Amino acid sequence: MDFTFSPEHVALRRMIREFAENEVAPIAAEIDREGRVPFETLKMMGEIGLLGVCFPQEYGGMGAGETGYCILMEELGRVCTSTATNVGAHIGIGAMSIYLDGTEEQKQKYLNPLARGEKMGAFVLTEADAGSDAAAIRTRAVREGDSWFLDGTKTFNTNGSFAEIVTVLAVTDPTLGARGGITAFIVESDTPGFEVGTHENKMGIRGSSTAELIFDGMRVPHENVLGKVGEGFVSFMKTLDMGRLTLGAACLGGAQAALDWSIEWAKTRKQFGVQLAHKQSVQWMIANMATEVEALRSLVYRVAWMVDTGQPFSQLAAMCKMYGSEVASRAIDMALQIHGGLGYTRDFPIDRAFRDARIAEIFEGTNEIQRIVIASNIFRQHGVRIRP
Amino acid sequence: MRIIVVIGRVLDPEGFVVNRRRGRIFVNREEYLIQPADRCALEAALRIKDSRSVDVEVVALPRCPLPDDDVLRLAVATGADRAIYLTGDGVAKADDAVMARILAAAVERLGGADLILTGATTMDTGQAQLAPRVAEALGWPQILDALHVEAADGRVTAILKEGNGYVTVETDLPAVVTVPQDTVKPRYPDGVRLINVYKREGEMATAVEEWDVAGLVDAEALQPLLEKRGQDFPPERERGVRASGTPEEMARAVADALGQRV
Amino acid sequence: MEFTFSEEQQMFRTMFRDFSTKEVAPRAEEIDHEEKPPPDVLRKAANQGFLGATLPEEYFGAELDYVSFALLIETLARDCMSTAVTLATHVSLVAMSILDHGTDGQKEEWLPQMAAGEMIGAFALTEPDAGSDAAGGNMAHSDGTTLQTRATPDGDDVILDGVKTWVANGGIAGLFLVFAQGPEGVDAFLVPKDTPGLTVGYREPTLGLRGMTFNTLYLENCRVAAGNRLGTPGQGGAVAQRARNRMAVVLAAAGLGVSEEAVDVAVQFASERVQFGVLIAQKQAIQSYVATAFAEVEALRYLVYHAAWLVDQGGDLSVDASVVKAFGARTARSVTNGMLQVMGGYGYMEDYPMARKYRDARALGIIGGPTELHHVRVAQRIFAEQDVEIAP
Repeated sequence: MDFTFSPEHVALRRMIREFAENEVAPIAAEIDREGRVPFETLKMMGEIGLLGVCFPQEYGGMGAGETGYCILMEELGRVCTSTATNVGAHIGIGAMSIYLDGTEEQKQKYLNPLARGEKMGAFVLTEADAGSDAAAIRTRAVREGDSWFLDGTKTFNTNGSFAEIVTVLAVTDPTLGARGGITAFIVESDTPGFEVGTHENKMGIRGSSTAELIFDGMRVPHENVLGKVGEGFVSFMKTLDMGRLTLGAACLGGAQAALDWSIEWAKTRKQFGVQLAHKQSVQWMIANMATEVEALRSLVYRVAWMVDTGQPFSQLAAMCKMYGSEVASRAIDMALQIHGGLGYTRDFPIDRAFRDARIAEIFEGTNEIQRIVIASNIFRQHGVRIRP
Repeated sequence: MRIIVVIGRVLDPEGFVVNRRRGRIFVNREEYLIQPADRCALEAALRIKDSRSVDVEVVALPRCPLPDDDVLRLAVATGADRAIYLTGDGVAKADDAVMARILAAAVERLGGADLILTGATTMDTGQAQLAPRVAEALGWPQILDALHVEAADGRVTAILKEGNGYVTVETDLPAVVTVPQDTVKPRYPDGVRLINVYKREGEMATAVEEWDVAGLVDAEALQPLLEKRGQDFPPERERGVRASGTPEEMARAVADALGQRV
Repeated sequence: MEFTFSEEQQMFRTMFRDFSTKEVAPRAEEIDHEEKPPPDVLRKAANQGFLGATLPEEYFGAELDYVSFALLIETLARDCMSTAVTLATHVSLVAMSILDHGTDGQKEEWLPQMAAGEMIGAFALTEPDAGSDAAGGNMAHSDGTTLQTRATPDGDDVILDGVKTWVANGGIAGLFLVFAQGPEGVDAFLVPKDTPGLTVGYREPTLGLRGMTFNTLYLENCRVAAGNRLGTPGQGGAVAQRARNRMAVVLAAAGLGVSEEAVDVAVQFASERVQFGVLIAQKQAIQSYVATAFAEVEALRYLVYHAAWLVDQGGDLSVDASVVKAFGARTARSVTNGMLQVMGGYGYMEDYPMARKYRDARALGIIGGPTELHHVRVAQRIFAEQDVEIAP
């Protein structure tokens, strides 16, 4: 067993870390305060190939695999969860859906500009009555000749308010449900009938965009059907699996940051004349944090390796997301406690990290869904079929 | 046009802690960076490459003995067309005098060059002698500490700081020019180039060549001027005197302290 | 053992609930989003007698027992924790300190104004630097032995010099209760806002409790009359200790309020939200989160009211105060976290109340003393009974 990263991944991490520290970290507080997406940073990332990190070079990507993508998400998660969110939605579910299910033409036409960062991507699924129960979506796609016409409202969408190329899931056969009734479409956002609705006011990840999208008689050509008609939900599941792993990587970065801040503070701060590092309550928190970070790190990169070597990973990806989000939440909570009052003000990054971390247990499939996925997988291997 | 950039590496200062009391340097994280000034020199070379309509080839060479070619690969990932990694017993103990001879020979082996760019000073040792030695070995003019460099039509133009202002210096190519650190914002490596040069794939498979210095210079040229006999901390800095009391008392104490020192 | 509130207390509870629903709830989101303390709400609260809740009638107080006051804070915190903790600071930390330790003259001068809401009280104890014995800043409570703020006698006056941080109510107060190191130990002083040499500075931009003001206070050559000292010279430590013990109980009551409201909101959501064809209330995981939260809330409830009852009995409250505060902080955190999860994405949006409750609740682990220090205090008492002395 070789637990080292290959030379290209070591070099990649170094480059990304420098980028993250020089370009992403310095504006993290500002984009949170102003609630704006850092387009200028995304553009810079695109120029050096980061926005296509995992896609093959033949499609405009960097060819660094899922491991490279996890490294990117970890390093971004370490300095700015909002930026990690913007990038994750673009690469991990937007572009990824086209990579996994697109035809050659679709990949050349749509994946290429996304991988080069020339255009931004998004994946559009959630609706007011379809959150965890994603199959309950009602956005309708009706075929007329060579075109499909989409009508419906999507909620809580990341990147949809500015992405140029989005993958949309809609119902093509209301009688069939998840198996056979849902289709994925590649939609260019400047299509007439594509409207951006209200922008959500979130507690955290305020440097990312979460918005309502409204489709009103929006025409999508039949050649833009992604995968087969009626099989959208099944292919969405594949895309989601990939997204779960990399969200775990972003959480790893966030947890590492919380640990690093806590160690630094414990060295510096004194209470009753003694550095906090000498207080057992603090030592316990640091030890717990560090152990969980190590366990998460091993899990995430092992699963990345499994993806890169073509092994099944669905159940483990769900574990990465579930465990990662909970490790990050625990770590940042402890970091806040160690920092005391200064952890509770917006003058320190802890407050932002605390607000940002909370969403990870909810989006990309709530941790309740992750647990159902894991338990279902386990019991299916033992011959018991579980319904959600 | 061929521009040679001479690149070295330095231990990342964020990865180690100097503990004077114990007389030790604790390296918590052994990671290396490109010498910051050399990185600026590379950026200057790449900007010349970007701006010209004529083909410019940028070749990276090492400024010091290197245990691996990582920093040269990084230079290629950042935009250098190729790099030469110098190996062999002869280079392991090379000091700046020896490196200058090796580099001059390497330039000849490459078939010459128009411009050599490198950092003005090294971050760790504060050395600035390599570039002048190389210039002397090649018989080329040298411009040191250039804040801005342009090369066209057989001439190099540089802007240097002088007093409170600036001065423009020009000379014919070929020439050696050094660039101080923090003069330009260096670009990030390109992701695709980075992956390929480290994986040694595609066009990048042969981007870094290995040359044995025994094939460049003879044994005599490899004799270093310097012999390292050990290392120690510099002497403790003397602390000042803290004066307190009434203004008159403080003035008296300061005057006395000055009287003892001067 | 009688586990019910008296008829009078139940009546008060209904009255408090009516007030809060009518006057506080509609303003809660705005108070948080605009980060503005609500003078109008405080005025209306004053009209109800809440700002002098526990003060005797002779000072225009409502003469509530501490159990009833805790009920008030709990009720207000259900709708707006900022309002609740503002009021708790004013009454428990400042007004009741004057009541306990003030001379008749001091009580007559300050308490009626405070009861009327014309003069809000702020508590200035925490300091930026950790002195060798004083606990570090960050809202950690000092054990009062060595403060950096100095009180230097000058004839009939005292000169105050120093910096205080995290002064709760600093931005809206007319009267500051300031703790300083005098010649005989820690002294407490009542310093009106317009006293020359007192400057209210930076307001901390907090994660939650955004309707409160926590300010830095500068005392530069601030001259107060010796008659402004509260209690005898060197008694300041005891004044601070008693105040913080009282406050610990109502902070826990605020934790109780925000927790139980979080449960109610989440339960209502779960009773309406359908996923996978059923209400999410039908899912065992959701049931488990709700039941766990419910149990924690109930446990906290009895702990809070027992502690409040102990306040009314008099006597030393130190350990019980630490226990209830630590437990309250943990419960509020755990419950708001769990109930946010029940609400999913809606729990994360600031247009719904849960996000604010989550942010507000987190404060309890830190203000009024971090949980770690409360644990030490409890351990000190437990081990003292075995004749083992534990250093802080």
